[in-house]
Amino acid sequence: MSRSYDRALTVFSPDGHLFQVEYANEAVRKGTCAVGVRGKDVVVLGVEKKSVLQLQDPRTVRKVVMLDDHVCLAFAGLTADGRVLIDKARIECQSHRLTVEDPVTIEYITRHIAGIQQRYTQSGGVRPFGIATLIVGFDPNDTRPRLYMTEPSGIYSAWKANAIGRSSKTVREFLEKNHKDDMTKEESIKLTIKSLLEVVQTGAKNIEISVLDGYNKITSLELSEIEAIVQDIEREKEAEAERKRSRLAATAAGQAAMLSRSADQSEGQ
Amino acid sequence: MDSSFAITGKGYAIVAADMTVSRSIVKMQYNEDKIKVLGSHLLMAFSGEPGDTVQFAEYVERNIRLAQIRNTYPLPPPSAASWIRRELADSLRSRSPYSVNLLVAGYDLSTHEPKLYWIDYLGTMATVPFAAHGYGSYFALSLLDRYHDPEATVEEGLATLRRCIDEVSKRLVVTPGKFKVKVVDKNGVREVEL
Amino acid sequence: MSIMEYNGGSVVAMVGKGCVAIASDLRLGNQALGISSNFQKIFPITDHIYLGLPGLATDVTTLKEQFRYRVNMYTIKEEREIEPEAFAHLVSSTLYERRFGPFFIEPVMAGLTKKPSGEYKPFIAASDLIGCLNFAKDFVVAGTASSKLFGVAEGLWEPGLEPEDLFETISQTLLNAVDRDAYSGWGAVVHVM
Repeated sequence: MSRSYDRALTVFSPDGHLFQVEYANEAVRKGTCAVGVRGKDVVVLGVEKKSVLQLQDPRTVRKVVMLDDHVCLAFAGLTADGRVLIDKARIECQSHRLTVEDPVTIEYITRHIAGIQQRYTQSGGVRPFGIATLIVGFDPNDTRPRLYMTEPSGIYSAWKANAIGRSSKTVREFLEKNHKDDMTKEESIKLTIKSLLEVVQTGAKNIEISVLDGYNKITSLELSEIEAIVQDIEREKEAEAERKRSRLAATAAGQAAMLSRSADQSEGQ
Repeated sequence: MDSSFAITGKGYAIVAADMTVSRSIVKMQYNEDKIKVLGSHLLMAFSGEPGDTVQFAEYVERNIRLAQIRNTYPLPPPSAASWIRRELADSLRSRSPYSVNLLVAGYDLSTHEPKLYWIDYLGTMATVPFAAHGYGSYFALSLLDRYHDPEATVEEGLATLRRCIDEVSKRLVVTPGKFKVKVVDKNGVREVEL
Repeated sequence: MSIMEYNGGSVVAMVGKGCVAIASDLRLGNQALGISSNFQKIFPITDHIYLGLPGLATDVTTLKEQFRYRVNMYTIKEEREIEPEAFAHLVSSTLYERRFGPFFIEPVMAGLTKKPSGEYKPFIAASDLIGCLNFAKDFVVAGTASSKLFGVAEGLWEPGLEPEDLFETISQTLLNAVDRDAYSGWGAVVHVM
């Protein structure tokens, strides 16, 4: 019986689920990880890059894309679905400029993308987009960084920092522990890389970072820059571990001293 | 009544367009920019039916930008001109055609050459060394036949353009007034005072 | 003012002995005002077919692009080059598609058909703006100077011209005809196959 609810996704299962949407979420969970972090006047996007095959042209594999001069998007899930959704969003960005002579706000384009995603959960003959997106940027005439997330169901929400894709739960928990308000650019980039390193074992060469520090100011970090920060983080971890070891040694020594002292005392009695 | 001219020279193209907006016999505005910058190395002067011109120019501008965002690289001048021409040709046989005449000038970064296209509202396109639209073309084209030099420097090109504008200002019943002049070369687009 | 004379321009094609030639002027005008002296109206379709498109210039470009598309699709689907006869009918049906809102073009084509024996048979054809084909055995003309071209070609053309003589004949025909036409001229181009 339950099989028939898998077929037409406009049909609820008796317990109120839309299976296809849940499968789409599963596709997102299988996708490579993407992280967004908002700082004081900067917003950083970091993605886990699948290693490029030896003969592949790395320029043709993009996970962070520009929607307009001031908006960036990263996605996790089915790349092919991503491409289609991105194209729709890019057209909307230009169409919006054409009709009202103003660039889109980040919230507007997020709502538009989420709207498309929702439509594909409610109309016949289609399946949902198997992607979640992180949308970042700056609104025109505003200095506040923005970070939004959309999901296959069409839900969208604003965040201080968030992760989507593989192991996103681990990364989100890491971000919850380590995120501070009003971080500088350097702190934001470092936190992004640090959180990605939680799930990316291969290090700098599989990380891609895009930094937006103001309206129309999008830069992506060079591999060497990322490597430098990764080394920095590793050195800190090393130092932390060293401190821990010496502290442990100190406590151990202290305990030993205490033990021997108490032994001396008992001998003296 | 609007006039626009364009010439190519050694490694550059110059586009000039008058700056007046008129309704019947009244000049409504005298500082209108009728040359759109479509990209780092692409210019488009537009004239024709008021309303249609700005509407079409902005439509082109957004689509050229979209193409650049989609493909990472901008459309080279021949492709951009071809697309624009096709839009006008399709529009001609639609329910509401655009009445817009264009001069599309650009610097092709792949061939290191300036390019100039004369396009009218019918979708007629010609690759030309120099071009003009409007009443000014009746004076300017014969002057350019005599004085245009494909090897001229920017300064010489601007001097030739000056001749055209002076002649039009002298002979046309209604003087077009000030002209906006933009140059495109390997370094990109810049505006110059004539 | 007829829309067929708006931009000006003329094309002529002639048959020779084992060869064909097609020639046109290079003018693009806005009625009496000349705009370009390098406006091509003859386009290569395959290695053995040339197509001339005199008439309204916007449709020259549109049809050139459309024929490129259709011939490419034909080549891919059929896995062979299109033959001049088939191409003539492709031109005809493309124009007839717009029977009640036509392209203002009167195409002229010239080509060589490969016979089973291996030798080439000359082929020329012309069409009106809605696709009525005219397979002539001597010469075809079209454009604003067509009336003059008819007269000169009638006087100069003879059967069995060798390529060199055909070149001379078509060149003289075109030049002398466009000299009597205000809407044609401003340079010329000749193709001999």
